[in-house]
Amino acid sequence: MQARDVGLTQTEYAAICRLMGREPNELELGLFGALWSEHCSYKNSRALLKRLPHEGPYVVAGPGGNAGVVRVSDDWEVAFKIESHNHPSYVEPVQGAATGVGGILRDIIAMGAQPIAVADLLRFGTDSQSVRLRQGVVKGIGQYGNAIGIPTVTGDVAYSETYAQNPLVNVLAVGLRRPEHAMTANTARPGHLLVLVGQRTGRDGIHGASLLASQDFQGSEHDTLRPTVQVGDPFLGKLLMDMTLTAVERGWVAALQDLGAAGLTSAVAELCDSSGVGANLWLDRVPLRQRQLSSYDIMLSETQERMLMAVEPERWPDVRALADHYEILATVIGEVTEGEMIQIWWDSTVQGTVSAHWLVRGCPRRDVSEEWWRALRHRPTEAPPVITTIPSLRALVLDVLAHPDVRDRSFIYQQYDSTIQTRTVWGPDHDVAVLRLHDTRVGLVLSVFGTGQWASLDPYAGAAAAVVLAASRLAALGAEPLGLTDGINAGNPDKEESFRQMASAVAGVQDAAEALRIPVTGGNVSLHNETDGQPIWPTVMIGALGRLDDATKPVPDCVGAQGHTLYLVNPGPLHWGGSVAERVVEGASPYPLGDLGHHQRALEAMTQFVRRGLAQAVRAIGRGGLATALARMLLGAPPSLGMAILLSESTESEKLLRLFNEGPAQWVVAVAPEVVDDAVGYWQAVGIELRYLGEVTQSGRLEVDERVHWTRAELLTAWRQPG
Amino acid sequence: MAQFHATVVVTLKPDILDPAGDATAQVLRQMGYLVDDVRMGKHIQLTLEAESVSEAEAAVRQMTESLLANPVMETYTVRVDAS
Amino acid sequence: MNIAVVTFPGSNCDDDTVRALHALGASVIRLWYRDRDLGGIDGVILPGGFSYGDYLRGGALAAQAPVMEPLRHAVRERALPVLGICNGFQILTEAKLLPGALRPNRQGTFLSTWQHLRVTRASSLFWGLREGEYLRLPIAHGEGAYYLPPGQLASLFDRGQAWLQYVSFDGQLTAAANPNGSVANLAGVIAGSVAALMPHPERAMDAALGSADGVRLLTAWLEGIRRRSRDASS
Repeated sequence: MQARDVGLTQTEYAAICRLMGREPNELELGLFGALWSEHCSYKNSRALLKRLPHEGPYVVAGPGGNAGVVRVSDDWEVAFKIESHNHPSYVEPVQGAATGVGGILRDIIAMGAQPIAVADLLRFGTDSQSVRLRQGVVKGIGQYGNAIGIPTVTGDVAYSETYAQNPLVNVLAVGLRRPEHAMTANTARPGHLLVLVGQRTGRDGIHGASLLASQDFQGSEHDTLRPTVQVGDPFLGKLLMDMTLTAVERGWVAALQDLGAAGLTSAVAELCDSSGVGANLWLDRVPLRQRQLSSYDIMLSETQERMLMAVEPERWPDVRALADHYEILATVIGEVTEGEMIQIWWDSTVQGTVSAHWLVRGCPRRDVSEEWWRALRHRPTEAPPVITTIPSLRALVLDVLAHPDVRDRSFIYQQYDSTIQTRTVWGPDHDVAVLRLHDTRVGLVLSVFGTGQWASLDPYAGAAAAVVLAASRLAALGAEPLGLTDGINAGNPDKEESFRQMASAVAGVQDAAEALRIPVTGGNVSLHNETDGQPIWPTVMIGALGRLDDATKPVPDCVGAQGHTLYLVNPGPLHWGGSVAERVVEGASPYPLGDLGHHQRALEAMTQFVRRGLAQAVRAIGRGGLATALARMLLGAPPSLGMAILLSESTESEKLLRLFNEGPAQWVVAVAPEVVDDAVGYWQAVGIELRYLGEVTQSGRLEVDERVHWTRAELLTAWRQPG
Repeated sequence: MAQFHATVVVTLKPDILDPAGDATAQVLRQMGYLVDDVRMGKHIQLTLEAESVSEAEAAVRQMTESLLANPVMETYTVRVDAS
Repeated sequence: MNIAVVTFPGSNCDDDTVRALHALGASVIRLWYRDRDLGGIDGVILPGGFSYGDYLRGGALAAQAPVMEPLRHAVRERALPVLGICNGFQILTEAKLLPGALRPNRQGTFLSTWQHLRVTRASSLFWGLREGEYLRLPIAHGEGAYYLPPGQLASLFDRGQAWLQYVSFDGQLTAAANPNGSVANLAGVIAGSVAALMPHPERAMDAALGSADGVRLLTAWLEGIRRRSRDASS
């Protein structure tokens, strides 16, 4: 076996020999191949990610662990993180997506948290094969989430040819824990037993991390990747989750790590490295599903539904009895030792010896100069687009509502259980999920948003705008932002253009998160999203988590009564760059991002506005622009209500740019007559523009400028396109 | 053209985990049956038009490769009979 | 009065069900699927979930669980009230404690949504839940299409076993209101002391979460048990 067989370069091989002072044997080389893969080592992205802001008043645990953790109240902490399963979902959509859900749930469990919610952020192509892929992915997400009993409460989906051979399947999970049940991987001590719990190890997904997730696809390579498919078992996953969390609650687990990419190798190396210890591993004791698995197979198998616990020897009988109760396997497969060396044994023979430190931190990583990093912000100034042929406003509103990126997602989310665990105040039929915690009014808001075409034209601005937009939705509920998780998806980092796109996206997330003062507590990077040399649009998936003091009464996102006045808060420039409408009409141009400091002030002002109870309804403008926000505020209202909108723009072209602008940090608010003066005074005082839009009427239809109108049925038919 | 009946049996490859089979085996053992292993599969019956048995079989194999089975994790057998 | 909630491997609505019962002031005993002692228990709920992963057929493997033997006995000997919710419904049909079967949804996919229901037939098992009353409850299932062999539907209605039906938001019994292809829009059936429904009353305990109609349904079931034990002891 050679370096390239495990996905390593000659330079990396030389680095391994230097670290070890000798050549690695085949087993050792395999371990390096897995942990030095892009997927495990973040060798091309770590230097960029470390620039993201990680500190905040609510942060309990930032990046580096299995998931970020923030404090919600004195009694509750929340673990949350996004993870990608893009390549596996292309190879086998149902199992790829299902194991993606299972994997991120185990990350949350490894923090000692009970998973309470899942969100899916998906990108597909537009051809018929993509339809089948989507059906499989949605089935897989539902199959796992529904069966293990974690509600899928919100999501994001969009389409472009760019994803035809590289669909994106990013899954975000949220979990709750009591502070006293906090778990990490860095508390293993010499003398602890290493206990492997869950599924028997089989020949699943060997090289999943190093080859499947860390290299580009060549069209014909499908065949050689066959043995890397993993099958998820949510039934066993549920038993493993319950058993693990019970053991944590009872104080029987000293340190905890899930088995994900690179299986046992990664789990043991992470546990040892973060705890500053070594280990003896006895591979002959690992329960196997098939005979004739080699040490190499056992160390690198990505069999799902397994957890690794460090347990004090006197606790082992309790842990074993608990596993027996749940009828799952728990086996002592090693012990924690002094030092940092991991010794791999089969009976009484040493198969390999490596340092956890080398595996986890030894990989040569790419860094960039400060100058290069700063220069990513310098972007060409674009002239505002000129609409050459003015389309019909009447038709365009309906076309945008019916666009696959905008239309009702219920054909997807109705396949997900969204009400189990009885916390879902707002589910996937809203732009954000609102979850209450049991036995308290305090709750969570989960806002997810992924970039689209804007980020393909300008990854920096598109990524920054996604952060602002996700946060705008928290502000619309007056929620206190707790933290962000980011999923970066891009092409082959060895190509300068793809690397630059990825770095620009990270820079955009950094600047927006810093301006908004929301820490990034963890995230995921998926590179090599290329097939036959064609990279995807750089795509950033953002999950923003907020706290509500009273989650049982969120401010509505639809209008509620006749006579309320509608306003547009913080109107963006007359520009529709990167918007769905622009795609529908004539191509693509980047949108001016605007000043992030100004966006921050607008968000803060909106948060306080809502908390003061001055808004009857609020909706953040997002995909589809103002026109879509208005239509959706009406579609969820009592059927008798209508809207009469009077745009202040003078030309037809300006009206279109206003109605379909998708710039971040803009909101539609409905204000009751008795507080109109207070509301107007408030926005004057904070120095953010509040522009009159119109009134809520009894007409049952949406009217613009007393000249164009749409009945409720027309809007609904357009928005509820099947599939 | 003549009518043919085809039967496709799709099974998981031997190395692929079969959670449904495992859970079913576990309950059968609990019920007292001496079961070592259970593997689940799909049994698909089709009726189709073709010129000959061999043409029908080729068509069914193509359908199976492209839709009925996922060759990444499943194997299959095809049987074709004239009506 | 003690209500037992049975957890099978893979049950996932057991915690929600226990929480709902506690909210109604019921005394709850949790049973594991291997338990065989139903002594001192006045009513049993088989909660929703994916017992044994729904592998083979929903409910089929759980119907063979050790706890089902004493349960079957108690139903036969002392007409023990049993309520099956979702997967619990599937388990009860697989255990032949209820007629019919639950087949995969007509559309072939899992369906999670809010659904309006009508009480087709009042029952002493649900004290105070009147015929013609409407409920709004969530459903979340992949195998919820109630099926009866041809010719058995009329007698199900004749015997008063057709309990709940899916209706439209304005209370009409229409084909469009049928979410999953159930025969005669049936969402719940009763046989003797055993009742079951596909919707989830335990998730509809608070208007803030969309509906409090589950309170009515579960209160009626608990009240039915209370009156039954009072009548038995008087």
